[in-house]
Amino acid sequence: MRSQAMHFQARVPAKLADERLQANLARASGRFVAARAQAVAEYEGDFEALRDAGRDIRDRVVADLDVWLETFEASAAARGAEVLYARDGEEIGRLVVEIARRHGVTKVVKSKSMLSEEADLNAVLEAAGITPVETDLGEYIQQLDDNEPPSHILAPAFHKSKEEVAELFARAHGRPPVDDIAGLTREAREVLRRHFLTAQMGLSGANFLVAETGSAVLVTNEGNGRMVTTLPPVHVVVTGIEKIVPTLEDVATLLRLLPRSASGQRISNYVTVATGVRAAGELDGPDHLYVILVDNGRAALAGGEFATMLRCIRCGACMNHCPVYQSVGGHAYGWVYPGPMGAVLTPLFTGLENARDLPQASTLCNQCGAVCPVRIPLPGLLRRLRERQMDEGLRPRRERRALRLWGWLAARPRLYRLAVRVAARYLDWLADGTDRIRVMGIAPEWTAGRDLPAPEGRTFRDLYAARRKHSKEEGR
Amino acid sequence: MRVGLFVTCLVDLMRPRIGFAALRLLEHAGCEVVVPADQTCCGQPAWNAGDRATSRRLALKLIDEFDGLDYVVVPSGSCAGMIRVHYPEVLRDDAVARARAEALAARTFELTDFLVNVLRIEDVPGGFRGSVTYHDSCSGLRELGVKAQPRALLGLMPGVELREMEAAEACCGFGGAFAVKFAGISTEIATRKCRSIEATAADAVVLGDLGCMLNIEGRLRRLGDEHTRVLHIAEILAGEDG
Repeated sequence: MRSQAMHFQARVPAKLADERLQANLARASGRFVAARAQAVAEYEGDFEALRDAGRDIRDRVVADLDVWLETFEASAAARGAEVLYARDGEEIGRLVVEIARRHGVTKVVKSKSMLSEEADLNAVLEAAGITPVETDLGEYIQQLDDNEPPSHILAPAFHKSKEEVAELFARAHGRPPVDDIAGLTREAREVLRRHFLTAQMGLSGANFLVAETGSAVLVTNEGNGRMVTTLPPVHVVVTGIEKIVPTLEDVATLLRLLPRSASGQRISNYVTVATGVRAAGELDGPDHLYVILVDNGRAALAGGEFATMLRCIRCGACMNHCPVYQSVGGHAYGWVYPGPMGAVLTPLFTGLENARDLPQASTLCNQCGAVCPVRIPLPGLLRRLRERQMDEGLRPRRERRALRLWGWLAARPRLYRLAVRVAARYLDWLADGTDRIRVMGIAPEWTAGRDLPAPEGRTFRDLYAARRKHSKEEGR
Repeated sequence: MRVGLFVTCLVDLMRPRIGFAALRLLEHAGCEVVVPADQTCCGQPAWNAGDRATSRRLALKLIDEFDGLDYVVVPSGSCAGMIRVHYPEVLRDDAVARARAEALAARTFELTDFLVNVLRIEDVPGGFRGSVTYHDSCSGLRELGVKAQPRALLGLMPGVELREMEAAEACCGFGGAFAVKFAGISTEIATRKCRSIEATAADAVVLGDLGCMLNIEGRLRRLGDEHTRVLHIAEILAGEDG
C-alpha cells in the first residue's frame, strides 16, 4: 500500500469536521474501551502478571528470531508446508501470484491479514486476473466500498455505522435494505458462502506461528477463517517474521491476553490451529500449504532501540484508547497501521522522512502503554523517533532554532529570569486587564480553539525574592 | 527535614500563587523549604521534542541545584515524572550522571504524593467549600501512580464534595507542543474533557498540572463556561494566601 502518511496534518481538519465519522468513532472506541476494562476486571488471575508473561514470551522470541524461524520452518516442513520468505510487500505479491498460477487459481478467499495490506495484495491479484474476495465482515465491507483501506487493524470498518453498511449492502447486493446487524450479517454470509465453495485458494494471516508444531494460529470471531483455511485446496498464510512463539503453551498465555485486550472477550469465538496439509485419512484441510514469512522492515528492528515494537500482537488496544486516534480515526494515519503502534511502525517501515507528522501526533499520555498487553513502551518509542527526526534534520528549522534558543536561555538563570519577567509582563499586557488572552500572535494555533488564561503578571521568582527581602528586613 | 521546592517554569511564568501554595503546605507540615534561586526548567519540552542535548544540559543543571537536600517536591506530575522516570534515560550514556539522576529520582516527589506518602499529613489549611471534580493528569497518574493521594487530601476538607467525572483518567489534549502543532486535535480532545467536567456540574475542576489547567480553562471559557473554576490541587489545599 502506498503510504499517504505525509499528509496526516493536511487530512486532520476534514476528519475533525466530519460529524458522522466523529459519532462513529466515539461509539466504537467507547465500546472497545469499556469491554476491555470489564474483561480485565473480571479476569480471575493477576492481569498485570499476565502482561509480564506475555512480554517475556515475545522478548524471548525477538531476542533470537533467526533461531526460532529455523525451528518453525523445520516443524512446518515436517507437516508438509512450504515456508517462503518475502523481503517486502512487492515480493509477497509476486510469491502469491506464482503460487496461484501453479495451482490454476482464479479466485482467492481471504481472511484477515494486515500483511496483505502492506503488499496491496488485492490490486496485485486483480492485475494478475485473479479475483480476491475478502470474507471477514469488516474487510468485506471495505472491499465493497470501492476497496477503501481498513481504518483499524482489527475492525476494518471501525469508522462506519451500521446504517452506512446497510446502504452499501443494498447498493452492492441489489437487495432491499436490511437495517439490523443480524440481517446484514446473514446477507453477507449468503453472498460469501458460494465464494468459499468455489475458491481454489484460501489466504489468511496468522496471529501466532508455533515453533514447536509448525502451526499457524488464527483468532477470529466469524467462522470464515476456518473455511478459508480448510475448504480450498490451497492455503497460503502470509504473516510477519516476528509472529513466532515457541510453544502451544505460550500461545495459551497470549490467548488470555489478546481477546481481552482487543475486544474484551474472554476468548474469541474461534481459535484455529492450522497445522500442515491434510494427512491421509483426514477429512478436511488443504492439499497444499504455503507459509510466507515477511520481513518488510522487521528484521532491521531486532536488536535495536525499537526491538520492543516486535512484541506487538496486533490487538488494537493502543488505538482504541488513544485520544488522537479517537479524534481523527485510522485513515488519517495514511498507511496500513494506525494509532500509536502505527505511529511507530509507519516511520520505521516506510521511512522517517515519509511520515514526519506521525511521531509528533501524540500527547504522550501513555494511555496506549498502560493497556498494551505486552508492555510496549509506545510513548518512549515515539520520543526516540522524535530524537531521530531532530538528529536527521527532519524538523522545521524554526522549531529547532526556537528549542535551541530556549534551551540556551534556560541554562542561564539570570538571563532566563529576565526573559520570563518580560514574557509574563507581555502576556499580562495582552490580557489587557481581563483574565484571558483571546488572540495570541506568537502562537495563534493555541488561541484558535482556546483562550489562554492570563498570567498573574509577576514571576514566582521575583515575588519570592521580594518576600524574602521583606521578611529579612522585618526580622532585622 | 530540608525539602527543595521545584516550582516549575510554567508556575514561575503563569501562576506564582501555585508555587506559594505548595510552599505553605510544606511549611504547614513542618518542613524546612529551600527554593533554589537559579532553577529554571526541568527540560521536559526539549526531551519530548527529541532534543536530547538540551534536555541533558538542563537535567544536569537541576541535579546540581537540588544536590544535598533530603527531598525535592514538585507541584506538577509531569515535571516530577520527568525527574523521576526520565532523567535516568536522558543521561543513559553517562554512568556517573545516571547514578546521580537515579539518586535524585528516588528523593523526588509530586506534591500530593509527598504530602500523603512521606509526610502523612492529617490536616490541610484550605477552607474551600463546594463541589469539585478531579482530573487525573497523564504523567502523574501513569508515571507516578498519583490517583488516590489528591483524593485523600480532598477528603481531609470537610467543605469539599468530590464528584468523579466520566473518564477522569483520559488525557485533556495538552501534550506540550502538541497543543500547538496539532491544535485542532488538541482542542477536540479538550472538548471531550470539558464535557465530562460540565456533566458533574461541580463548582471547580481540580488538578495537579498547570499545563493541563491552562488547556482545560482555556477551552472551558471558549466554550462559554464562565462559572467552573479551574484550580490547582495546591491552591485548594493551601487556601487563600495569608
